[in-house]
Amino acid sequence: MLEIKNLHVKIADEDAEILKGIDLVVPRGEVHAIMGPNGSGKSTLAYVLAGREDYEVTDGDILWNGESILGMEPDERAAKGVFLAFQYPMEIPGVAGLTFLRTAANAVRKKRGHEELTTPAFMKLVKERAASLNIDVEMLKRPVNVGFSGGEKKRSEILQMAMLEPSLCVLDETDSGLDIDALRIVADGVNALRGPDRAMLVITHYQRLLNHIVPDKVHVLAYGKIRRSGGKELALELEKSGYAEFQKDAA
Amino acid sequence: MNVAVMKTRAEVALTEGFAGVADALPGSDEVRQARTAAIGRFAAHGLPHRRIEEWKYTDLRGVMKDALPLAVGDQTKTTIADVIVAMGALGRIDAPRLVLVNGTYRRELSNLDGISGVVVTPLSAALQAGASASLSLDEEDRGSQALLALNAAYVTDGAVIDVAAGTKLAEPLLVVHVRAGGIAQRTVSRSQIRVGDGAQVTIVEMFVAVPGSIADGQTNAASEVVVGANAEVGHVKVAMDLGQVIHLANWLVELGTDSNYRAFQYTSGVGLARNQVRTTFKGENAKLDISGAFLARNSEHIDTTLFVDHATPGGESRELFKGVLDGEARGIFQGKVIVRRDAQKTDGKQMAQALMLSETAEFDSKPELEIYADDVVCGHGSTSAALDGELLFYLRARGIPLKEARALLIQSFIGEAIDKIDNVAVREALMSEAETWLAASI
Repeated sequence: MLEIKNLHVKIADEDAEILKGIDLVVPRGEVHAIMGPNGSGKSTLAYVLAGREDYEVTDGDILWNGESILGMEPDERAAKGVFLAFQYPMEIPGVAGLTFLRTAANAVRKKRGHEELTTPAFMKLVKERAASLNIDVEMLKRPVNVGFSGGEKKRSEILQMAMLEPSLCVLDETDSGLDIDALRIVADGVNALRGPDRAMLVITHYQRLLNHIVPDKVHVLAYGKIRRSGGKELALELEKSGYAEFQKDAA
Repeated sequence: MNVAVMKTRAEVALTEGFAGVADALPGSDEVRQARTAAIGRFAAHGLPHRRIEEWKYTDLRGVMKDALPLAVGDQTKTTIADVIVAMGALGRIDAPRLVLVNGTYRRELSNLDGISGVVVTPLSAALQAGASASLSLDEEDRGSQALLALNAAYVTDGAVIDVAAGTKLAEPLLVVHVRAGGIAQRTVSRSQIRVGDGAQVTIVEMFVAVPGSIADGQTNAASEVVVGANAEVGHVKVAMDLGQVIHLANWLVELGTDSNYRAFQYTSGVGLARNQVRTTFKGENAKLDISGAFLARNSEHIDTTLFVDHATPGGESRELFKGVLDGEARGIFQGKVIVRRDAQKTDGKQMAQALMLSETAEFDSKPELEIYADDVVCGHGSTSAALDGELLFYLRARGIPLKEARALLIQSFIGEAIDKIDNVAVREALMSEAETWLAASI
């Protein structure tokens, strides 16, 4: 279970607070969506969950399975099962996709006390999972994300997620830059990972993604706070009314 | 105004020491005369110093206090096993090789059997036969003229490689310069590579040391490369694990019509290196790629100086140099591209990048474009930066610990340059060498 308690966050070296007291609980087995206007702090929340250094938590806590993760390095969090699918996946020239996937998968397996994958075992796994995401293994011989289209980068994120087998998946604007076919492939990939032991936090600006990844709950994040929570129908309502009312609330 | 410059101790030794070794140097009378003339040219120039624009970052006169004794007629008991060990990861490459130990050709360590279409001879034999033209190389800047004059005066040996027109060699041809033994010496070598029309060949020149041999020395090496029309040439230079050596290298390359010349220079673990390359487009529509990787730590100093002379139309040039600098190391990149009036439709791109692993490392980059033609596409860039924090976060968010993440990123940085090498065995061996070097810096 993910528990976020009264989380206050600012950018290190700056005074302005971005998250102003977030309270949120996502039980295992559930998918929660976080929606909100641009600049509301959605991506900040994603980065803070993953442990990015540029942010400073000034108050509150984040617990994953009852354990605070705030003091953990990003790689320790990954080993504990936290996975962030980036809004803008980075290109790593010179590192082949397969090398990257194998290094990452074995790093977390080792920390979780599992045996490292042998080359044949790894290749078998990566082929299966790549195929279900419509990713050509040949593409993974190329440097990570270099020269990939927006859709290919997002599919590559989901493949990483499938290979690392996280228990808490945070998807930051995974729908941005995707056409409808790519969206469906990515959503199918995410849905395949839904399960009773996995919690998911899907961050999105638009309702569209939630037609494909149907959430158990929807939360509206605006001006650094959760302003409203509801069922999946809340997303449809927001699609009609927009975020204007929350801007009023904040003011 | 003429200013009389005091000769340094090294300059005096290099000039006056010639008479004492001249008799021991290979060559006919004609060659002997050419050598004597060369030492005269050197005496007039002296060693390159920082007041020569091309040498402003590498003040050789200031750095080279003494001239070490010239290595002549190697007597070390170097074995094939020693040579293989000295070659590091490249020792695993099973390919024909010519081996020079301390500047002397060693037939019993070489293996030149079974290569058809290529004639490889030691330069010493060519000089004995009177090939004085072999010593005629020259450069445009005064500093390099002086080094080439010293090279002509003192050269003891090297490789003369003639690749017949149309020859296609799958495996690379190795020219291995090995330093061995316990005496700090000066080695002077020169190679000539002539590739006939339409031939395809990869040549690797290596400067390495037998582990346990003295970590000091001075090297003056020159290579002349003539690439025939439609020929495809891979040319790799490796200088590594040489300790405190001062390594001075000059390449002079001429490209024929429609030829494709792909060069790569890898330098690591060298006290001071000056790698200078001049390439001249002699024929139309030739392609040039000269790239490299340099890795330096402590107070090592690696200088890459390029001149790319687009003298003919339709040429394409690409340069990508990447350096990793740690400790107090200094990296230098000077890249001058000249596009002459007739060289229309030239396409030139240059990039020099340094990854700084310490606050005290230094990278000096001086790209220069001189364009006299009006229908060309040319660009250059240069960066120096520490490791990218966002990329590190991306890797760590995937569970990769900091140390491993740093290693992957540094390898990927340098790998992008090493990937330019077409020959798989050479590329993989150099990547492995780079990884070994990097392991100590991560």
